[in-house]
Amino acid sequence: MNDMTLNTDTAPAYKPAGRQWAARYSLVLILAAMIAVFSVLRPDFAAGGNFEKILLSASISAIMFLGVTWVIAAGEIDISFMEVAALSDMIVAGLVHAGYGWPLAACLGVVAGLAVGAVNGFLVGFARLPALITTLATGGFARSMAAVIGAGSSLEIGSTGFVGRFIEVRFGFIPAVTVLAVILYAIAWFAQERLVFGHYLYAAEQNRSAIVEAGIPARRLIFTLYVISAFAASIAGVLLTANLASGQPRIGSSFFIDGLTAVLLGGMVIKFGQPNVLGTFVAVLLLAVLVSGTALLGWPDWQRDIIKGVLLLAGVVIVVRGRRRSGRELVGEH
Amino acid sequence: MSRSVVLRLAAFLALLAIIAITFGSLSHQYLSRNNISAIFRHMSADGLAGLGLTFVIVVRRFDLSFPGVASLGAMTTGWLIAAGHALLPSIVGGIAAGVVFGVVNGVSIAIFRLPDIVTTIAIGSATYGLSYIYSNGATISDNFMDSGILDINDRQIAHLDAPIFFMLVLYVIATVVMHRSRFGRSFYATGENPRSAAFSGVNTRGYVVAAFVLTSALSVWAGILHCAEAGQADPSAGDGFLTPAFASVYLGAALFGTASVPATFAGTLLISAMLNGFTLLSVPYYYADAIVAVVLIVAIGVFDPRLVEAFGRGLRSGRVAGTRA
Repeated sequence: MNDMTLNTDTAPAYKPAGRQWAARYSLVLILAAMIAVFSVLRPDFAAGGNFEKILLSASISAIMFLGVTWVIAAGEIDISFMEVAALSDMIVAGLVHAGYGWPLAACLGVVAGLAVGAVNGFLVGFARLPALITTLATGGFARSMAAVIGAGSSLEIGSTGFVGRFIEVRFGFIPAVTVLAVILYAIAWFAQERLVFGHYLYAAEQNRSAIVEAGIPARRLIFTLYVISAFAASIAGVLLTANLASGQPRIGSSFFIDGLTAVLLGGMVIKFGQPNVLGTFVAVLLLAVLVSGTALLGWPDWQRDIIKGVLLLAGVVIVVRGRRRSGRELVGEH
Repeated sequence: MSRSVVLRLAAFLALLAIIAITFGSLSHQYLSRNNISAIFRHMSADGLAGLGLTFVIVVRRFDLSFPGVASLGAMTTGWLIAAGHALLPSIVGGIAAGVVFGVVNGVSIAIFRLPDIVTTIAIGSATYGLSYIYSNGATISDNFMDSGILDINDRQIAHLDAPIFFMLVLYVIATVVMHRSRFGRSFYATGENPRSAAFSGVNTRGYVVAAFVLTSALSVWAGILHCAEAGQADPSAGDGFLTPAFASVYLGAALFGTASVPATFAGTLLISAMLNGFTLLSVPYYYADAIVAVVLIVAIGVFDPRLVEAFGRGLRSGRVAGTRA
């Protein structure tokens, strides 16, 4: 079923031929083409203010999906990330609403996220429970707790604190959040490509029993990946609270399809057929451009749901075909 | 009936009794005729989504698209009724719309061997979007009064509320089909050992497609029941189906050792009885997700063969009852 080669396509000496180069960067080219088309159709799309909005929303999403990328790359799945973000969002809103300061609220929001991540990591990594069902349940639990904080409704907050001031900061038209996202992704890219952690990560997907036999602590690795996933999601949750100046218990569902679409479409970029952080970043930008452009063209939300579904399916087909060629299979494939 | 089945049945009845006694002592309404009927009514929608999912779980696949498919099917039925069609063709039309996407799921996964989780998430998103196509997301209730769809919810058949009657009939049919026919056993063969099933002449791909089609059709029916109860069709018809359906299949499988139609019935009954009890005690609705989540985690913890083995060793010195599911 799986082959033993580790990351042959990340070897530094690898030089892709022209066609492969086009395939590797096709998503970047599609992104550029979409920006061009929307700019022609709607001149206000290319205005600085709109780019700023696209970058801000894309950066928050990108931070939320950073860790999920690795969970899926390692051959597991996490469908609780968006509810973790919603839980952190509501914890921060609840504490600020109750009069606590932002630093404490933000810390506890992230701690709650880490706790869910640790539960996911323990149940999937150590107890070896099925990842989909486990994260379905923990996500449901987090969603429920988020709703409990506001007794089922959203919570308005008076001050957005230091996180609000951070979100307001701009370098030209580039939001500081985008800079934060780029820094986090740069660190993640380094860890994924240059540290032994990254090799273990992809090895875990390719041949789980082989890495166990090689003495790699696979269980601890899976545990860590779920904790990172929840950590990234809860940071995004804290940013969302400040950005919306309120806590929204049902905010999670709107990020679910986007997150998985971004990770799987992102698998097309650079490392053909393998989810990776650079790819996720490009795919998040692509989705944000799509949402903004089609909204300016007056398309309703539901048409975007259909497009996202089709894009996700297209991403899966491409990733699976890429993997079949190299003899690997994707999570959940039989 | 083997000894282990008797033990498992006893365990299920004991759990049911614990739930009944606990909530019955906290609220005297709990065991009233009306409330028991309310529990079964709750089951008749959620329980049917779980029944469909059972087939997919038995062939060892996952389906996350059925809430979206249920919404699309329910909206299709609502739209057909609003356009003046009779009740039966409208229901058939709604189920047909769902079946189309069941086939898409099944073919993508069984024939093109796409990964089930992500494929069904994508189809779920697309079908949810498509459910807005008829009315741009507005609820549909034209002709609902005269069409007879409300009777599905309100009528009595054989001294039972109609939704409960239909649920019981569907469960009985599913039990016979799944556990008393060659067709049904082939689902298990496909799930447990697809290679030897294929060598024995089972069209394993066909059974995977059939499982996804059954899930879609049954979840659309559940969505239609939801509309009949609400008196209108709206795109949120399938929203609450996902976690309870998984929880009922896995809780049932945990109790009876493997996923099966009667096991799912037992799982749904326990969950509905519990959620109803909490509602009676005026626990707010938003705790329901957390309750179902805890049940689901406990269920998969027990369902997990290694844990069953570990507990089995602890309790019965080495003997492990039940088959690996």
